[in-house]
Amino acid sequence: MMHYRTALAALATTAMITIGSGAALAEEVTITVWSGGSGPNDNYRIDAIKIAADFLEREAAVRGEELSITVEGKPYTQWDEFKQAVTLAAEAGTAPNIVVAGHEDIAAWAQSGLIVPIEDYVDVDSWPINDIYENLFDISSFNGMLYGLPQDAEARPFFFWKDHMRGIGYSDADIDALPGKVQSGEYTLQDVLVDAKKIQDAGLVKPGYGFYPRVSNGPDYWQFYLSFGGQMEDGSGKLVFDKAAMTKFYQFFVDAVAAGVTRKNHIGTPWDQWYGEVASGKAGMWHGGTWHYKRYTTTEGLDDFFGNIQFSLIPAGDADGAANTITHPLVYLLTKQDDDDAIAIAADLVKIASEPRINALHAIKSAHLGITKSEASVDLYSGDRWAREATERLLPHASAMPNNVNFGQYWEIMWGGLEGSWTGQKSVADAIADVETELRTTLGDKIVIR
Amino acid sequence: MGNSSVDVADAGGLKTRGPPSSGPKLSKLAAIGNSKYLGLYLLAPAFLFVFVFFLTPVVLTGIFGFTNMSTATGITGGSYLVSRSSMLALKDRHGLDEIADDLSKVVYTIDEDGLAAAAQGKADAATLVEFRDKFLGQSFDNRRDIERAIKSLDSRPSSTRVIKAIAANFERSVLNIRFDTEEDLFAAVSDFGVSLDAEQKIALSDVAYTGWVFTTDNFKRMVSLPETTKTLINTMFYVFTTLILFNTGFALVLAISTHYMESRPAGFFRSVWLLPRITPPVLYVLMWKWLAWDTGFLSVILEPFGVEPRNWMLDSPANAWTFIILINGMVGASMGMLIFSSAIKAIPQSLFYASEVDGATRIQQIRHIILPQLRFPILFITSYQTLSLMTSFEYILLATEGGPGGATEVWALTTYMKALSNYAGALEYGYGAALALVLVVIGVTLSIFYLKLFDFKTLTAPPKIE
Repeated sequence: MMHYRTALAALATTAMITIGSGAALAEEVTITVWSGGSGPNDNYRIDAIKIAADFLEREAAVRGEELSITVEGKPYTQWDEFKQAVTLAAEAGTAPNIVVAGHEDIAAWAQSGLIVPIEDYVDVDSWPINDIYENLFDISSFNGMLYGLPQDAEARPFFFWKDHMRGIGYSDADIDALPGKVQSGEYTLQDVLVDAKKIQDAGLVKPGYGFYPRVSNGPDYWQFYLSFGGQMEDGSGKLVFDKAAMTKFYQFFVDAVAAGVTRKNHIGTPWDQWYGEVASGKAGMWHGGTWHYKRYTTTEGLDDFFGNIQFSLIPAGDADGAANTITHPLVYLLTKQDDDDAIAIAADLVKIASEPRINALHAIKSAHLGITKSEASVDLYSGDRWAREATERLLPHASAMPNNVNFGQYWEIMWGGLEGSWTGQKSVADAIADVETELRTTLGDKIVIR
Repeated sequence: MGNSSVDVADAGGLKTRGPPSSGPKLSKLAAIGNSKYLGLYLLAPAFLFVFVFFLTPVVLTGIFGFTNMSTATGITGGSYLVSRSSMLALKDRHGLDEIADDLSKVVYTIDEDGLAAAAQGKADAATLVEFRDKFLGQSFDNRRDIERAIKSLDSRPSSTRVIKAIAANFERSVLNIRFDTEEDLFAAVSDFGVSLDAEQKIALSDVAYTGWVFTTDNFKRMVSLPETTKTLINTMFYVFTTLILFNTGFALVLAISTHYMESRPAGFFRSVWLLPRITPPVLYVLMWKWLAWDTGFLSVILEPFGVEPRNWMLDSPANAWTFIILINGMVGASMGMLIFSSAIKAIPQSLFYASEVDGATRIQQIRHIILPQLRFPILFITSYQTLSLMTSFEYILLATEGGPGGATEVWALTTYMKALSNYAGALEYGYGAALALVLVVIGVTLSIFYLKLFDFKTLTAPPKIE
């Protein structure tokens, strides 16, 4: 009897040790990923993490560990809704492990402690992080630390409808030379107004369609501030309001309305209408983003993009500024969690998802640009004419908005002033004066006004 | 409340009404049913809702309005962080340039203390021995360099996390480290070799704290912004124009005109006017947009007459207001119509018969019979709709987003924009709450004014005849 009992106890102990050690070895983790502003073409923002999970599980298996990762994704089509959801979930302690947000969110979220620097978990010298374009690496950093990894890059080009340019006397050679002339500063925003007027006067487009800008607030409008020599942040990390540049930037849109080439009530035009019009030659010149290529050639049915559309940097406004484009990368960010291991796994997943072949899936499917230099050698990427040409022509000149806690407020105030003067509610001088008052009141010493 | 029925009866004050022990025992429900506090019991769920969904938000708004709460400060509290941005603030706000520069330095020193600490962690003994041999006494001015030094070892750890954990033991500076309390921060700063006097400590704590603090700056900002007056005027214009023209004016017209109709067509017309209210707002506004877009119905109809197609809704502030007031008015009128119609129905028919015998015209009937009887419903609709319009912004947000150029921006929309909608995610909860608080104050003031204007006491006084 005694023997029987001892044997049973030994068996039970062995069983428990086996179960216990099994539990210690087989780690099961659920990683949640939320992505903002993501349409049907952006599924790889989340799917890339799923692919990475498979790799990480295999790597663990090779090391003799058992790791099981479940990735739960939730794409948000809108930004407002996504940002509210992320901040409120974080306050409630239920933030997703990984968020795919705009890089401008880094500053505020880092300050509040909502996100943790990815640099605490990954080796910045390791591949593919050491292969990320330097400007994108900087854009993903705040206060000298790498907070996230860029998820995609893009640029915001200026577009010309080739037939209309021919209609006002441009030869094919002239049109081919346009991007170069824009880049060198020979073709400026003043030329845009002149040519837009000619296109309209020739009856090629309806009044107000000569220059057909973005229909809502967006990073795009900062490009025109840069075109006139404006600066968003100085070297020390302080915001800058350059009155002269802002005045010239507002004045450009007021002039466009006065010349009749842009509509006074253009802001608020429905996006669907806008896309349909620019992709079918109803506008002479406009500006947009690299991802527009996808929309024009699929939803809008533009078969021959390169035969119909020329693209370039945003032209310089005058001699004070230069041709430019803004890239607004989304970044993979890690939120603060109680479970440090989960953050480390999320960091590894993000790192793997940034590898060229995986990132190229997103870049090509959604017509964004690559984030690493070697991505250009991935067949899928190099075989795509748009990705190739846009990367070459635009990405080297791309700058970005600053990661600054107060930039969001500055942005809203800048937009308010532009809208007020564009729609004729205020003169440019009044709008600038109001912007200055509002900046002084709202941001005080956090902005340099000059 | 107790558990037994006797307790319930006690609480309900039944003791005084009946013999406590001789009669049949009341069941719990019957006891509640007979209680003189029955009204309170029945209202309890409502009180709970009012408390949770009205009182608490108002109180919280009142508190948040006096803070600088935002996405950057978080809601649940903060920590102390010496960073590039906070050191910039230390220079700008407090002029402590030298201290800011000192604290901005990053120093990793390979010393015995650090090695001892590292030995307690996951680091391999061989790694630490080699690290000591090669790097003892050296300093690094950034984390990436010390990590590279560790990676250069023959016996380097294979895991990045272990490398980072080893490096952390040698960090002597405070930059980019979060401290939960002020004391922890000061202790670390002092260990780093930077000594601060009391005043400097206050300054450092001020710039390094990442959480929210109480402040009255929101109201100062509100007062000094030129936009505030404009938004206030817009709000008043929007509320009173919609209220007078539609929510009471047009609602009265509908109620009175359908009163004089046969009951079937009257019912039909009332149902038609209810449609805007029962249509989902997004769809309802979309239909208005289809009407007004430059490729929409109005433009298409007017083009053959030589009118250039345009976005009629956003063409000018006057256009935008016209649409906003129509959009809101069509919805608002239906509620007044229902209330007024039923109030008219409640007027004794004999009054109408008598007036007709006296030869009164319809205008005279309206003036002398209907309107005087509608004073209470009109007061109700006016005050209810004022408050409702003042806080409603959803139709404006969907239709014009406050455009063109902020011309149709009303107070509630600004509040929403500041607190919950920013392109760059910089949500200003504190300022938004302060704006909302103003709305609460205006709402309460107007309600009191209406009660005085319509002489609420007389309206609710018991009839003298009976």
